This record gives sequence, structure tokens and C-alpha cells, in this order.
Amino acid sequence: MPAVGIGWRPPHYAALLAQQPALGFIEVHAENFFAPGGAALAVLRQGRTHYPVSLHGVGLSLGSAAGIDPWHLDQLAHLVQTIEPVRVSDHPSFARGPDVHANDLLPVPLTHAALDALCANVNRVQDRLRRPIAVENLSAYVQWRHADMDEPAFLNTLAQRTGCQLLVDVNNLYVNALNAQLRGETGEPLHPCRHWLDAIHPAHVAELHLAGHAHCGDIVIDDHGSRVIDEVWTLYRHAVQRFGAVPTLIEWDTDVPALDVLLDEADRARSVALHALSTETLAA
Amino acid sequence: MNTTSPSPLAQQQQALLHTLFARPGTAQADTAHTALLEQLAARHPQTARGLAAYRANGHALAERSLIAAYPVVAALIGGDNFAWLARDLWHQHPPRCGDLAQWGDALPGFVRSNPQLADVPYLGDVAQAEWALHQAAGAPDAEPDLSSFARLGQEDPQGLTFALAPGTAVIASPYPVASLVAAHLDKASSLAAAAQRLCEGIGEHALVWRQGLRPRIATITPAAAGLVQALLRGADLPQALDTACACADVNDDWDFSAWLTAAVTDGLVIGVHRPPTHTTTEHTP
Repeated sequence: MPAVGIGWRPPHYAALLAQQPALGFIEVHAENFFAPGGAALAVLRQGRTHYPVSLHGVGLSLGSAAGIDPWHLDQLAHLVQTIEPVRVSDHPSFARGPDVHANDLLPVPLTHAALDALCANVNRVQDRLRRPIAVENLSAYVQWRHADMDEPAFLNTLAQRTGCQLLVDVNNLYVNALNAQLRGETGEPLHPCRHWLDAIHPAHVAELHLAGHAHCGDIVIDDHGSRVIDEVWTLYRHAVQRFGAVPTLIEWDTDVPALDVLLDEADRARSVALHALSTETLAA
Repeated sequence: MNTTSPSPLAQQQQALLHTLFARPGTAQADTAHTALLEQLAARHPQTARGLAAYRANGHALAERSLIAAYPVVAALIGGDNFAWLARDLWHQHPPRCGDLAQWGDALPGFVRSNPQLADVPYLGDVAQAEWALHQAAGAPDAEPDLSSFARLGQEDPQGLTFALAPGTAVIASPYPVASLVAAHLDKASSLAAAAQRLCEGIGEHALVWRQGLRPRIATITPAAAGLVQALLRGADLPQALDTACACADVNDDWDFSAWLTAAVTDGLVIGVHRPPTHTTTEHTP
């Protein structure tokens, strides 16, 4: 049975500490706790006394040609030392230029040059933190003209060259496939997602993410604002059968519902994973 | 001189960043967009929609981050105006780091220099006080050391000083800035009273500090403001008291003992300590 956790956001700070439901871990966005003191850090310390914490970053800008911001890395290193998280993760995206930080997950081209920059940055982070980090596939809303490889090859090579782990966001895969379908590049979206999952080396995968998304006419946005849909649960089952009992996170960041809704999604993840693993055992 | 030109990867990334941060509708935005399209697989209209999604996300982040730091400015000018202000600041003073809690320090100067906000001349000082509160909220923790107050009766006061609460700051304003902020953040404070002080042209010294985990703001006298500012500059107690007396109004019946009692009770003064003295070696040329 995988450890299943939920994203712990401000509307649930008090409720989670009061109820202390059974969860494998809680996940927070690292940047929200960079302040050296105050209420936010105090709350996270309280949460840490009850649960393992997964520190998920959204601002390292691991794919930036401008490199890693030393201030950002200092803050993260201090937080890691304070919280002793079970995992540290971020994205193979960029946001940082010479004089600006977009605070978004902008896609890098799947080129050798981008992979070199990403590997150098991941190595720098891991050297500083003295631990491997996990790197998560993202939803991309623009596509660069040139690519040297596909995304699974890009991520597998990243993991092989740096020793980093991979965090597979199943919903992001599906969102990208839906958008490719809207662009007329692919047909039915589940098939390319299964193909993507099958191309990722299982030994690299450290965590799975599940979330909802929004259909906005001619584009699908990974807004983390609704329940996981059936197609993504289907892909999750496939992912568990391929990667095993990997820790799994329920993410919900916009229009955050009552804590019970997230706990219900976490229960469903456990159930789907259990079924997937038992089916796998029977098949073996 | 380093004349290395950006790598092709850096140029690609800068093209996207320039497109997202150029002010919409400007020639700069058109130029950046044209340069970016050469790099993108842009044949499908979804590309434009994708860029719009990234822009919209940036604007949403700007509004969410800024209102977290400036709830009173938002209340004073209204939600729509504040959203416009946040988007404008995002493009004119974009974030430089990946922690958005650090972004927004330019807002006080931005609103002071904005002619469209000239009818709310106190807004810049309100923003300055709110930024001080925002900074205090995340300042390094410090535990009160009550036993250290015994040193006041035991040691030569020269060289002794007070340890102040995390995030302590003083904002001097020709407007009733502390009353305006407190009236919006603290239900016990009266908005009508703050408005009355504004109408009467009463200025205030706003004291910001953090009591435990709670950022606080209060109006203080010129003497108390002088004292706290002197302590923040590193003055010892005799120097700080001299400054307080020099700053006191003619009608300011300021009582240091009463001030200290209240300051300790409110968590402003959290201890007494003697900073290490720095010895210097003099050189004779």
C-alpha cells in the first residue's frame, strides 16, 4: 500500500492539526515557508510533529539558463535542515531570467542544451542539500519549435545523469494529452499517456501526483481545483502497476474544499492503488 | 569586459519572459511576442491561448501576493482598482526571486508617484506601514528574556540596551497612518475615529512590531518614536533616552517608566542586553 498524502494549504491548517487524520505524509510548497520566523513556520513545525512532510518547490527554476538563485537555494537548504522532509521536489521548468522571476512553471525545450542546463542546476541543488531531489513533469501550454528527444527520454536521462528522482504527475500527463488532442496532434488521450508512463524507468520514480483540471474551451488548464477525474484514476492504476507502491499525493490548490473532500480523494487513491497492486500480484 | 552573448537557450527563455512581462498593448509587447513566435511551434491558435494562460496566472499571482501584504490598501481603493494596481506593479516592478512574499516592496513608492492615486495622498504611507507589518510577520523569532531586566538595577546603564521584538519599525507620517491601518485590521479600532483624524490633518508615528506570532501596529508619541528609532540604530539606553527627550513635544508628558512597563507587557521590549563592544586598532600613518 503506498503512503498517500494531501497538499496542506492554509484553509486546512487548523482542521488537520485538530483532526490528525491518518495520512502517509503532508505536502507543502517550500516557498511559503521561507520566512525565517513567524506563524507560517510555527504551523509547519506543528504539522511536522504529526506527519512526514514533503517539501514541493515551485520556484527553484531548475531549467533556467540563468542558473539557480543562490538566495533561493539558501532558504531551501535552511528549511530542509529545519523540517527534515521526507522528500524535496521541484520542476524541470524555468522562471528565472537575468533580472526577473516569473514565479511560474514555464516549459524548457526538450533539447540537449536544455538538458545540460537542467542537469547542472539539479546537481547544484543536490550538492547543497546533500540529498537527491525529485523532479516533476509539468503541464505545458506552449510548445517550443525544436526538440531533440521526447519527454520520457529527457526525464530518464536527467535522472541517470544526476541521480535525481522523478515525480510523476499523472494529471499533468493527461492535461498535456488533452491539449495535444485539441491541437489535432493526437487522438484518444489515454493511449499516449500510457505510452509515456511505460517509457519512464520505474527505478527513478519517487512520488505520484493526482489532481483535477479545468476545460477552458480551446485549452485545458491544470488548475488543481476539482476532484480527480475517472480517466486520471485509470492512468493512476496503470502507474501503480508499473511503478509499484509509490507515495501518492492529492493536490488541491484553487477553490480548496473542506478537508473531508481531500481525505475522501486520499481514500480513493489508497483503494485504487490496492486494487492495482493486487491485480498485479495475481497477474504475476 | 565580459561580452559573452546569451546562449540560444537563454535567448529562448528571455523571449518568453519578455513576452509575459511586457505591458500588454505596448510596442515592446508586440516586439517581444514576434520574437517569441519564431521560437515556438506556433501554428495552432492554442499557442496564443497558452501564452494568455501564463499571463493570466502571473496577474492572479500578483493580485494574490499583493493583497496578502496590503489588505488595507486594497480595502481603501477597492478590489478592481487594487487588481489593476497589482497587474501594473507586476509589469513595472516584476519579481526578482521565487518567493512572492518578497515581492511588493516597491508598492509604497509606486502609489506615491502615481498621478491617478493623487486623491489618496496617505496611501503611500499606509502601504509603507503594511509592508512593515508584512515583514514583521516573517521576521526571525525571538524569545523574551524577562530575567534580563534585573540588569537595569544592577549594572551601569551605559552600554546597556533593549532587545526589541521581531520586525520592530517606526513610520513617521503626516497622516494618521497607524489609526487607518488599525481601523481596518483590528475590530476594536474605530474607522470613524481614524477618518476624523485624517480630516483634522493629524499626523502619527506608527510603531510596528510582532508580539509573539501576531504583527501589531500602534500610534506612539514622538518621544517614544525617537527612543525606538535610536534603539534600532544601536544606541545604548542613555543615548536613546537623550534622543527621546529631544524628540518630545512641548506638551508630551512622556514617562519612561510607564512606557517601559507597557512596552514589556505588549512584547515590544523583550530583554536587556549589552552588545559586545568593537575594539579598533588605530594606525598611525
